[in-house]
Amino acid sequence: MIKLDHVSKKYGAKMAVQDLSLDIAAGELFAFLGPNGAGKTTTIKMLCGLLFPTSGAVSIGGYDLRRDGDRARQLLSYVPDQPFLYEKLTGREFLQFIADMYGLPRAQSASRIAEMIELFELHEFIDDLTERYSHGMRQRTVFAAALVHEPRVLIVDEPTVGLDPHSVRRLKDLLRRQADRGTTVFLSSHSLDVVEELADRIAIIEHGRLVACGTLTALREQAAVDGPLEDVFLTLTRPVEDKVTKP
Amino acid sequence: MNQALLFQKLRLRLLRNSWRAMTQQSSMRPLTILLCSAIVWTFIFAISWGGFLFLHTEVGVPLTGEIVGILLDLLFLSLAVLLVFSSGLILYGSLFASPETAFLLSSPVAVDQVFAYKFQGAVAFSSWAFLLLGTPILIAYGLVCEAAWYFYVLLPLFFLGFVLLPGALGGLAALLIVNYVPKRRKQVLSVCLTALVLVLAGWLYRMVQAAPTELWREEMREAVTRLLSYFQFTRNPLAPSHWVSLGLRRVVRGEIGAALYYLALVWSNGLFLYVIAAAASTRLYRRGYNRMTTGGDLQRFPVLFRGRNHKPAMDNGRLPLAAVGKENHRESWMDYLLYAVLVFVNPRTRLLLIKDFRTFRRDPQQWGQVLAFCGLMLLYFANIRRFVEDVSGPYQNSISFLNLCAVALLLCTYTGRFVYPMLSLEGRRFWILGLLPLKREQLLWGKFAFSMTGGCLIAGGLILVSDLMLLMPAPPILLHLLTVVVLAAGLSGLSVGLGACMPNFRERDPSKIAAGFGGTLNLVAGLLFLLLILGLMAVPWHMEAYLTMMPFLSDRKSEVALLSEGFIGAGVVLGLLAGIACVVLPLRAGIRALREMEF
Repeated sequence: MIKLDHVSKKYGAKMAVQDLSLDIAAGELFAFLGPNGAGKTTTIKMLCGLLFPTSGAVSIGGYDLRRDGDRARQLLSYVPDQPFLYEKLTGREFLQFIADMYGLPRAQSASRIAEMIELFELHEFIDDLTERYSHGMRQRTVFAAALVHEPRVLIVDEPTVGLDPHSVRRLKDLLRRQADRGTTVFLSSHSLDVVEELADRIAIIEHGRLVACGTLTALREQAAVDGPLEDVFLTLTRPVEDKVTKP
Repeated sequence: MNQALLFQKLRLRLLRNSWRAMTQQSSMRPLTILLCSAIVWTFIFAISWGGFLFLHTEVGVPLTGEIVGILLDLLFLSLAVLLVFSSGLILYGSLFASPETAFLLSSPVAVDQVFAYKFQGAVAFSSWAFLLLGTPILIAYGLVCEAAWYFYVLLPLFFLGFVLLPGALGGLAALLIVNYVPKRRKQVLSVCLTALVLVLAGWLYRMVQAAPTELWREEMREAVTRLLSYFQFTRNPLAPSHWVSLGLRRVVRGEIGAALYYLALVWSNGLFLYVIAAAASTRLYRRGYNRMTTGGDLQRFPVLFRGRNHKPAMDNGRLPLAAVGKENHRESWMDYLLYAVLVFVNPRTRLLLIKDFRTFRRDPQQWGQVLAFCGLMLLYFANIRRFVEDVSGPYQNSISFLNLCAVALLLCTYTGRFVYPMLSLEGRRFWILGLLPLKREQLLWGKFAFSMTGGCLIAGGLILVSDLMLLMPAPPILLHLLTVVVLAAGLSGLSVGLGACMPNFRERDPSKIAAGFGGTLNLVAGLLFLLLILGLMAVPWHMEAYLTMMPFLSDRKSEVALLSEGFIGAGVVLGLLAGIACVVLPLRAGIRALREMEF
């Protein structure tokens, strides 16, 4: 469903992503990890067609993002780390706008919006202007908007930041449920416990290069660490000089 | 749903909800905005109506003739130039720097539809001022010319068609600059603005050079004809501004067929240029966004990727601000100069002011406008004697007073446009200032000192040049300087105080903060204060100077002088008191609001 073929991306002279190749199947919950500045957000932006690869190709559902960008974007939903909401729209109006933008017929959009309001428990504030929403309320509304058109690919960047434990639990259930229904979930996060619990496969990127990709078991083998994902991650992303001195 | 319709629906909803939110918060706010707009509109209408009537009845200038045509040409050409820059800048911000951009570009909406949506917003925002300032002039023109009813129907159609052209040109420029010179976009803008100012200055200089010979030494008709030749560039048959001017004059003459021809010419060219811009957006918008994000001159990348061994410069006895400056930009002599000038301000507050100054300095959109106005004013003041060879008597008196008024207006614009938004621009990071080991009132006093120092230096310098060029005697020069200081203090107090009472931490664009309710209120209050101070401190001296020149009062000069001295003295004292009140009262209110502010 998501395919990156030898993708590289330059920021001026700096190589942000180098020769990255990934193939992610439908219904897979794929976690994308890396230290700050490793190239995660750049990769995500290339998946959404916001940035173009310097070399290589990105495709979603078989559509190349450069040639058939609008068709590819029709299949996906992107929830960034700092999501955007129109401050002067109510939550309901925002959901309606998204449904219209993705071309949902009137009757279908009405039932989907009602479902989303139910699923994310938005009743209490859905008719208030979004400028009055708390962080949690905003995050729930953004996820409702992301799912209202039933995307085949859901790309999520740091979704758990600022959420209370109940909301995190609800979010984890939601992401798992979406993957089980056949949606490809591309999750970028620093919350290693969430990734460890949810991910089918994990990729770790550092300085723009893919250093590991596979199931948690495969990553443990590669790192020669039999512990939690945190230990695996720290071992695989240890600075080179540390790797030499501390094998 | 059709995507164009979708965005129209979105815009209508946003407008409706904003209006509702505003009226729910306070019905006074929209009422005040409407009232202020109505006052400004009526004022301009009255002046224009009087002006056209004077031209027509007193001077005998035919209103559908060439002289008025040139005035209309100049009006629409100036508007076109302003609109190219303003809609280009607004579109650049809206297309590439707005948080909405990433949201829309990651959706399946066609990119030309996003461009169209942003284009309409930018053109509406950049040309609303023309609606307020231009319509009263043109309606007054129609009324004085006794134009038929269809003049008022065709007027908005001409205007709508016309704004498409500079809007599309500005949009195209924004797309091309971001695509082809993403690292040098600010420099390109600065070069364009400088070139524009130089061309304008050169033209003004030629006019100034020509004016004495043309107006005072030759026959009036011939002189005016020659002077008009300097405006020929506004009458280029290929200039859309000329088509609008011609079209409107044809409507007034009742030549409806010719008028419709020009209307069609304006609309067809406007739409054609818009189609070119929209077509360019399909190829260049996403590409430009990509180039600007990854190849543009974003300071964060060089700093982020400077390497692990990079350490910031240590403070070894130099100014503490130097260490911070070396992280991203070179330290500047201007920071040191300001640090030295503001010696009377608490050192911690001074550092905050250096921060404000750096932010201001690194945004050419901000200081470019002040620099352009100051430069033009300075050019005029420096050449003032070319207009009036004999700078004594009534010319000297009235010109020096008018120059003082112009400088006062510039000061009012500077404080309203740049000082009022200063506190709001701290934005959502305001809590950082709230946590500093600094009394909150110090923050406001610091901004006040910054504004007043800048205001005094700019306005004081300008008025000094003007008065010296006019060979004014020392007492009025001192009086003008004192007036400027009182104005700078009062206007700074008003802007800083009201800025703290009505902060808008959500908005990041200073022009939008200044154009909001608080900014408009501040501008109106500033104008009233300006009128009061000029009336109290400058008018009595100039009235005395005027009256002593009157032949019928020549035998009563001593009485006039005695009476005027009393008025001048009382005016200065009252002006000083008004200035102090305008500093203390708004700042006290601002400090109270700031103390009660929660983060």
